[in-house]
Amino acid sequence: MILGIETSCDETAVALVEGGRVRSNVVASQAELHARYGGVVPEVASRRHLELVAPVLAEALEQADASLDDVEAVAVTRGPGLVGALLVGLSAAKALAWSRRLPLVPVDHLHGHVAALYLEPEPLDPPFLCLLASGGHTLLLDVQDRAGHRVVGTTLDDAAGEAFDKGARLLGLGYPGGAALDRAARDGDPTAYRFPVARVPGLDFSFSGLKTALLYAVRELPADELEGRRADLAASYQRAIVRALVERTEAAAESLGAPRIAVVGGVAANSELREALAHATLAPLPLCTDNAAMIASAGRFAPRLPFPEYLALDAYATAA
Amino acid sequence: MLVLAFDTATEAASVALVRDGDVLGERASRAVRVLADAEELLREAGLERSAVEGIVVGTGPGSYTGLRMGLVTARALSLSLGVPVAGIPTLAALAAGLPGAVPVLDGRRREVFTLAGPTPVCLPAADLRVEPGRTYVGDGAVRYREPIEAAGGVVPPDGASEHVPWARHHAALAREFGPAEAAEPIYLRAPDAERALSR
Ligand SMILES: [Zn+2]
Repeated sequence: MILGIETSCDETAVALVEGGRVRSNVVASQAELHARYGGVVPEVASRRHLELVAPVLAEALEQADASLDDVEAVAVTRGPGLVGALLVGLSAAKALAWSRRLPLVPVDHLHGHVAALYLEPEPLDPPFLCLLASGGHTLLLDVQDRAGHRVVGTTLDDAAGEAFDKGARLLGLGYPGGAALDRAARDGDPTAYRFPVARVPGLDFSFSGLKTALLYAVRELPADELEGRRADLAASYQRAIVRALVERTEAAAESLGAPRIAVVGGVAANSELREALAHATLAPLPLCTDNAAMIASAGRFAPRLPFPEYLALDAYATAA
Repeated sequence: MLVLAFDTATEAASVALVRDGDVLGERASRAVRVLADAEELLREAGLERSAVEGIVVGTGPGSYTGLRMGLVTARALSLSLGVPVAGIPTLAALAAGLPGAVPVLDGRRREVFTLAGPTPVCLPAADLRVEPGRTYVGDGAVRYREPIEAAGGVVPPDGASEHVPWARHHAALAREFGPAEAAEPIYLRAPDAERALSR
């Protein structure tokens, strides 16, 4: 059994994975804690991780009906992410591995997201093209084997999930706003507004212009009309983001000759995206947002550091 | 009782292996390599980590990230080895290194952490009350050597051992061992975002 630990942002997560089977997957979300700040505050997140790691670990063991004696390796997110937050999980993982002479598997968070697809009940076989869209990332990844991936496209500014959150805030839908915007859009007309999506060269994305366009559209409205047009604005804005994601993803798949498309990351929860990419493989929802089962899953395929090679291991904030 | 003690709250981190008051080994460390140093200490002492019967950890104040790394390490070790934990404030261990001295840690932003009686406090460096003839130790004392000495205080030379909160002192000060989560971090400051909100 592999123990996975993930603390790169605002979810404290521990999971146990055996083969490709998820034995437990516990996620303590801090979303509510950060809502009052309108975004993730690194120091607040790190403090909460320290409080939550041990209880979440105990819960994961209990749900799996397992003990630390059943663990053969500890997989942990080493980066990218908030360094102070990462170091809480990494320090815990090193202590657990050291005290039991277990190997440690440092996992790249992005590899983790992709590895959510290798879990049962329907593990996906490479090669495939993977769209990873979350609050922190918007990436197109060429996946040839389970050990890694190659980045073929990325966002030049905001991540897709960030665009959803910022849009939701402009529309007075609160933070985090992805789900609220999705709900509001259901009652709106996606063709009511024309929001331009920047055409950047290659397979990259850009969402910052879109956010500005929404800002202007909201500003032009008399205050008492926002309520009435909110659904239309949400629907049009969402349509623009989803279009951008779908077009680029399909173009990438075609140019690489990828036989399949897969979608991971929190934005995969968006209903319009799921509909628009109906032929794609979508990771189950609990495995789309940050979790530790995906880290343990990646831990099956990433290189293991035998005891005691990992004892001075550090975290990293951004991909090398 | 064989105790593994460590403090990673400041850049002058340290690890010690102590049995019933005897220091079996001690070394300067860093937060990211505290376990590498613990491993070496155990090997030099010819002991297995399963022989460790208690963990003593520095609870700060200091650098938030380093402090948390030490505490989460203690919590994970406690859970994994099934041993109890004692938390000792970094300032108390620093003071124990030179009886009579005032511990002063650099809190950055022109603030220092020191003791007011037994209580850790955070105050502007300019508000540190200096008693003539008294000795001041810690990275804060080094950083504010000039004003402290100008006010008649004594600061040992930069790099002197007295400026390090050595883990042997944490072990010596530890009386009550209990659940790991009872060893809580002493931050002394709310996160900036928190302070901005309450303004
Ligand atoms: Zn993520």
